[in-house]
Amino acid sequence: MGSWIVGNWPSFDPHNFSQLRPNDPSAPSKKTPITYHPTHERTLPPPDQVISSEAKNILLRQFYQRGDEKLRPKRAAPENLAPEQECKHPRASVASSSQPPK
Amino acid sequence: MFRRHNITARIFERQIRTPSPGTSVHCARRFYENIVPGSTIYDVECPDHSFRKFTEDGKYLISFSRDHQDLIVYRPTWLSFSCKQEDCDSQDLPVKAKKFESFFTRLYSVPLASASELICKDFFLYAETNQFGLFATSTAQIYDAPATGGAIQGVPSIEKITFHLLRLEDGVVLDERVFRNDYINLAHSMGVFLFDDLLAIVSLRYQRIHILQIRDSGSLVDLRAIGEFCREDDELFLNSSAQTISSVDKRAPEHMPMNNAVNGLHLEQPAQENPFLTGIKQRLLSFIVRGIQSEEKDEAMRIQSLKKKFYFHFQDYVDLIIWKVQFLDRHHLLIKFGSVDGAVSRNTDSHPAFFAVYNMESTEIIAFYQMSSDELYSLFEQFCDHFHVPSKSSLHMNFISSHSNNIHALEQLRSSKNKATSFSLFIKKVLVSLPFNCQSQSPSPYFDQSLFRFDEKLISAVDRHRQSTDHPIKFILRRPPHTLKFKIKPGPEAGVTDCRTKRISSFLFHPTLPLALSIQQTLFLQPAVVNIHFRR
Repeated sequence: MGSWIVGNWPSFDPHNFSQLRPNDPSAPSKKTPITYHPTHERTLPPPDQVISSEAKNILLRQFYQRGDEKLRPKRAAPENLAPEQECKHPRASVASSSQPPK
Repeated sequence: MFRRHNITARIFERQIRTPSPGTSVHCARRFYENIVPGSTIYDVECPDHSFRKFTEDGKYLISFSRDHQDLIVYRPTWLSFSCKQEDCDSQDLPVKAKKFESFFTRLYSVPLASASELICKDFFLYAETNQFGLFATSTAQIYDAPATGGAIQGVPSIEKITFHLLRLEDGVVLDERVFRNDYINLAHSMGVFLFDDLLAIVSLRYQRIHILQIRDSGSLVDLRAIGEFCREDDELFLNSSAQTISSVDKRAPEHMPMNNAVNGLHLEQPAQENPFLTGIKQRLLSFIVRGIQSEEKDEAMRIQSLKKKFYFHFQDYVDLIIWKVQFLDRHHLLIKFGSVDGAVSRNTDSHPAFFAVYNMESTEIIAFYQMSSDELYSLFEQFCDHFHVPSKSSLHMNFISSHSNNIHALEQLRSSKNKATSFSLFIKKVLVSLPFNCQSQSPSPYFDQSLFRFDEKLISAVDRHRQSTDHPIKFILRRPPHTLKFKIKPGPEAGVTDCRTKRISSFLFHPTLPLALSIQQTLFLQPAVVNIHFRR
């Protein structure tokens, strides 16, 4: 029964919404809504980033990944660690979490 | 969650409630719990054809004449009769409505096989986008065929196999592809795999995988033939360098393994006609070698490991032949390799088999597994649906219950895994179905494991003949109240008096309508008993 915002919409209790002061459409409010700006740039994407979907389905991705792991030569003595670190590539997070321990 | 079972209540719910994201097909399927093929017309008078299957979109019923020469296509329709009495539900159908023709309209009959050929009645593939059907006719098998022209010894030969591509709307033959003196496994479409518009045909005798494309115009176009040569220009390269090779003296066989390079590297084999291994075999062997090499870091251990794991079994690896192939996506094939003896025998359990994933574009082998590989089994358990390649063209084929998309099927698999005495034997039993046969499962929602529970030994989505029982096959609701919804009983209504003769049944379920055919046959060429199960 209260006249709230636009039109006479029914409500259970006529005292509901009585405190609400609807905006008068003839005189628009001068307050602009608050906007939030980030204070740092850590989360900005790199300027040349292109997001695209993976062409291979998940099964094929698993086959390729396991094949790459097998064919990559195992780490030898510790002195060989330095040159091998440069050819390490980031592993997708899917792989490490999806394999149940057998 | 408690869901009301009353169909009217469900329809009202559907009006106001949107389904959870991604489950609209599952929500629509729940209505099949209410609409079931509960009524049966026993022993319907029908033409004496062997009914093969309904197409996946439900538009056609494919059948072959008894003499395996003609194709007859029907359109599934529905009964049309009206009942003027007051209490119609309890009335039985009038006799003239209980006919085969009430449900099926004959569209046309096309002779596919000429005099000496027979239609292979187990073979049918459907390309849904253009409504094309692929059929096969063949002449008789010759068992002791000599191995000429690059053929493998031990594989039988068929003089002529013809694949016919038909437009099912009107029965016009659009294209044909003939294979002469070859052997392709046509039973249950095992030697052919269709994925969207790509067709892979395995020629067992010449060890080639022919990749064809079905164009929209209806022509079959050769894309490539993998086997002897992997890339299109391999043959040219080898022929041009064959002249220089033949002039060089034969060296002693090299012991160091070859790395997988682009084209033309070979292992020299003394005292053999052709010094080259086939292209795909070369790829496979070099992949195996690289895998064994990279396992060990010590040079001496590496050579030991190679000797033990590779060179000891070298001849076995070289003797492997391609058994079966399926697509994993448009560029990748899953190939099953095995011995020559296992290729043509019915029981493949005792023969060792291997799986390889092959990329057709880069011509590389990506993975290689043994039959009892734990790794392959875990991939199969997690990603079974990706082995049943999901086709973009047909939506409802992607909802067939498997243990990757259905909790009940997964529990069944897990319980049989726990019950198995030997894990490697269990893996072998599960992986024997790989690579899958194309279009071998029915998309009918009555086989959806989350809707109905039924005895998998008596009936299932896979279309193969089963031993017939006298008792009707029950379909029970999965959800509470777990009631019996409908029964399918093959064979005559009164049951069969003669229990000695073995009877087999096959079931054809329409993909969308509550309509099913059950066909019971004895092995003595007596006419089959066909029942129609439908919803009244």
